[in-house]
Amino acid sequence: MDYAASEPGTTTVASALAIKILIAGGFGVGKTTLVGTISEIRPLHTEELLSDRGIGVDDTSGVESKTTTTVALDFGRITIREGLWLYLFGTPGQDRFWFMWDELALGALGAVVLADTRRLQDCFPAVDYFEQRGIPFVVAVNCFDGARRYDPAKVRRALGLNENIPIVLCDVRQRASVRDVLTTLVTYAVKGLGAGVSG
Amino acid sequence: MSGEDPGPLIRLFGLTGGRARPQGEAFDLVAIVTTAAEAGDPTDLIPEHRAVLALCRRPTPVADVAAHLRLPLNITRVILGDLRGEGLVTIDRPRPAAQTIDERIYREVLHGLRSL
Repeated sequence: MDYAASEPGTTTVASALAIKILIAGGFGVGKTTLVGTISEIRPLHTEELLSDRGIGVDDTSGVESKTTTTVALDFGRITIREGLWLYLFGTPGQDRFWFMWDELALGALGAVVLADTRRLQDCFPAVDYFEQRGIPFVVAVNCFDGARRYDPAKVRRALGLNENIPIVLCDVRQRASVRDVLTTLVTYAVKGLGAGVSG
Repeated sequence: MSGEDPGPLIRLFGLTGGRARPQGEAFDLVAIVTTAAEAGDPTDLIPEHRAVLALCRRPTPVADVAAHLRLPLNITRVILGDLRGEGLVTIDRPRPAAQTIDERIYREVLHGLRSL
């Protein structure tokens, strides 16, 4: 997307700030649950209409081009104070909607990649995506009932992650647990900004 | 799909004229929308447009406008692009996180998260 051109009615001075955080991971790993656990509003589950004109040619492969297609998008909100919000966007799980990730990721502070140790490979695409684009991310291992508890070091090796990328174990149904994941991400992402932030 | 109710689609089509993309410069899902000071309360607007003008007297992110209207995000953006074209709202240009998130904002966010 192009923000370079200027036109009347578009201002650069913001009195309010909305910080965008992405929640990624494979299908059924708990993205929607995570957003619902922490959001102060009932997470919005919208069916985004995509006309065939709205999708790049490459993205329509395998999709009937004459029909209107929809993609589910979840988002939630955390108000820090008047004029300062965190928005959590659950990324569409299906591969054919990668083009939507580009838009969601633009300007995002960072991402949470949710992983299920029973299907660790499901989060490879998300890890690759954020690594390639230099978007800060943390890996949150959702500890499902009955799932084997994994040593974070093993997850790190399996995913081939750098030492500096945080890995946290979490339960997306627990508010305190989700809060810790987000705190870890914000701290990690802000350190990477080099904005003179300490601690 | 002849058995499906076409109602919602027709309504959405009417709101956007069938367009999938907003007119003018692209804007982000969390760009801040603010009703222009001179917008007043035009009575000749459709309900959705009036609802946006009322809501965005307080600066409001695009995603929240969609939530308020109960409309999909991309439909909402077409509506907002039209209102901007009419000079009724302004939409800020997102800046990189490195420029917007300073020490103070960071502390506020951490504090806000911890108190959840």
